[in-house]
Amino acid sequence: MLKINNLHAAVEDREILRGIDLEVRAGEVHAIMGPNGSGKSTLASVLAGSEKYTVTEGSVEFLGRDLLTLPIEDRARMGLFLGFQYPVEIPGVTMANFMKLAVNEQRRFRGEAPLSAAEFLRLMREKSKVVELDAKLTSRAVNEGFSGGEKKKNEIFQMAMLDPKLAILDETDSGLDIDALRIVATGVTKLHTAENATVVITHYQRLLDYIVPDVVHVLYQGRIIYTGDRTLALKLEKEGYDWLINDYKE
Amino acid sequence: MELHEIIRSLRPIGEEPLRIVAPGKMPGTASGCFPGSAPARGVSECILPESPASECETLGAIDPLQVRIVAGAGTSVRLAVLHTQPMATHIELVAEEGASIALTEIFTAGAAAELSIRQAASSRTHLTLVELAGAEVHCTTDLAGGAARCEQQALLLVGGEEQGLLTLRTNHLVPDCTSRAQVRGVAGGRATGTFRGLVYVAPDAQRTDAGQQCRNVLLSDTAHIDAQPQLEIYADDVQCTHGATVGLLDRDAIFYMRQRGIDERQARQLQLTGFVSELLQGCSPEPLCDALTAAVGERLKML
Ligand SMILES: Nc1ncnc2c1ncn2[C@@H]1O[C@H](COP(=O)(O)OP(=O)(O)OP(=O)(O)O)[C@@H](O)[C@H]1O
Ligand SMILES: [Mg+2]
Repeated sequence: MLKINNLHAAVEDREILRGIDLEVRAGEVHAIMGPNGSGKSTLASVLAGSEKYTVTEGSVEFLGRDLLTLPIEDRARMGLFLGFQYPVEIPGVTMANFMKLAVNEQRRFRGEAPLSAAEFLRLMREKSKVVELDAKLTSRAVNEGFSGGEKKKNEIFQMAMLDPKLAILDETDSGLDIDALRIVATGVTKLHTAENATVVITHYQRLLDYIVPDVVHVLYQGRIIYTGDRTLALKLEKEGYDWLINDYKE
Repeated sequence: MELHEIIRSLRPIGEEPLRIVAPGKMPGTASGCFPGSAPARGVSECILPESPASECETLGAIDPLQVRIVAGAGTSVRLAVLHTQPMATHIELVAEEGASIALTEIFTAGAAAELSIRQAASSRTHLTLVELAGAEVHCTTDLAGGAARCEQQALLLVGGEEQGLLTLRTNHLVPDCTSRAQVRGVAGGRATGTFRGLVYVAPDAQRTDAGQQCRNVLLSDTAHIDAQPQLEIYADDVQCTHGATVGLLDRDAIFYMRQRGIDERQARQLQLTGFVSELLQGCSPEPLCDALTAAVGERLKML
């Protein structure tokens, strides 16, 4: 589904991604871990098409297409979803209006008729249950005044609404209380099927108790320096990164 | 329905000065209704029908040269004025004790408008002012009776080579009055928007509560917005806030929307609509507000 080949990306003149190789297949769950500042969010942003970064080398294939040449919205319409580490507030734009436009734009891309107002409301009601999102939030402006936890729930609610092929969830677990973590993680698990794939970026093992990863990667200084199975996350939780990154320290 | 159709369907505001009289009151004599200069012609009186407080009469005018309205003590009136011609116009409103006036004033051409509002004790005014084209508007509000309150919302949309100007002067002449002004500007092309705000607080106008905020978005490198909110305070026990910002569209918000599948043009549009729509919420009556929101949306697409 996703094939990243020797990806390098820079912001201004600073190289942040320095040769990433990663392959994600349908049905898989990958976890990406790594110390602060190692480039996890940058990787997610570059895949989503953020204009802040320049790809200087490498290629990315998504569902058989050259991802890097596609505009941001087409990547999304093809089924690439990014759960933001820091969801953005959009004053004056209600969640409902925002989602209606997003859902219908994605449907149009797939050649499907737009949802009627009633169908859309039904979908919204159904999907807000996935993460037990307070119905009142959908009539409020996007993320504006949402608590940290509500913002993260809202990301997964949007994921549920858009039903992506590949979801990259950037620290969706941070800022959630214990119950919210369980609800959100269970929600993500419910959305996972054999046809889609999930990449979770996280610092903590506890999320991975719910969303069981097939593969765990450690990103450090813009490279994946180690890949293991789910037990790697447990080991990292206990021992930290030192044993892995000592050789790489500059 | 289009804006002008809606306003044409309202009860018209005539050429003569108009006095709104509370139901059940006998109309008074025509003269002496206006403070200050005597009207040149007779004053027509408009007796409001008996109605629940929430529902008040709405009067409308398109391209009036002059409007003079006194809302008599305890009355409520709603006004909608549309300016479609580049001409000079003068609107004078007086809210007597406890009266309430809501005015929606819309400019679709480069008119020059003077708006003067005078408020007696415990009166309320609510102004929604929208420049859909670069007009020149000067508004002065005198809060002349205790516990008067005015709320003003202004939107300045300019594009192309347009020049839009808005001055809002609020005079707190007596203690215990409240004023709120919210101004939003959007400038594209090579247009210039200018906002001059002044809150004046007279020497003994204690316990004044005044706020004036102006936020602006520039859509191009060649557009300009000059926003200057000012305070002139001669009393010591007051609460006044003011501020102005000029910025660009939020790139992060546009990225966020595009990441959900919304194209760039629509994302910009959605953000701009959000930016201005908060301002239109207090406008009334509803059909007018809907038509205005639609007109603003159309205008934003062209900036
Ligand atoms: N737009 C930018 N401008 C300048 N530097 C940037 C930018 N984006 C990222 N960086 C830098 O690139 C490095 C990687 O950042 P990134 O946000 O990808 O880290 P991360 O692995 O997600 O960290 P965290 O775990 O703290 O979220 C950091 O040193 C960061 O300061
Ligand atoms: Mg990060």
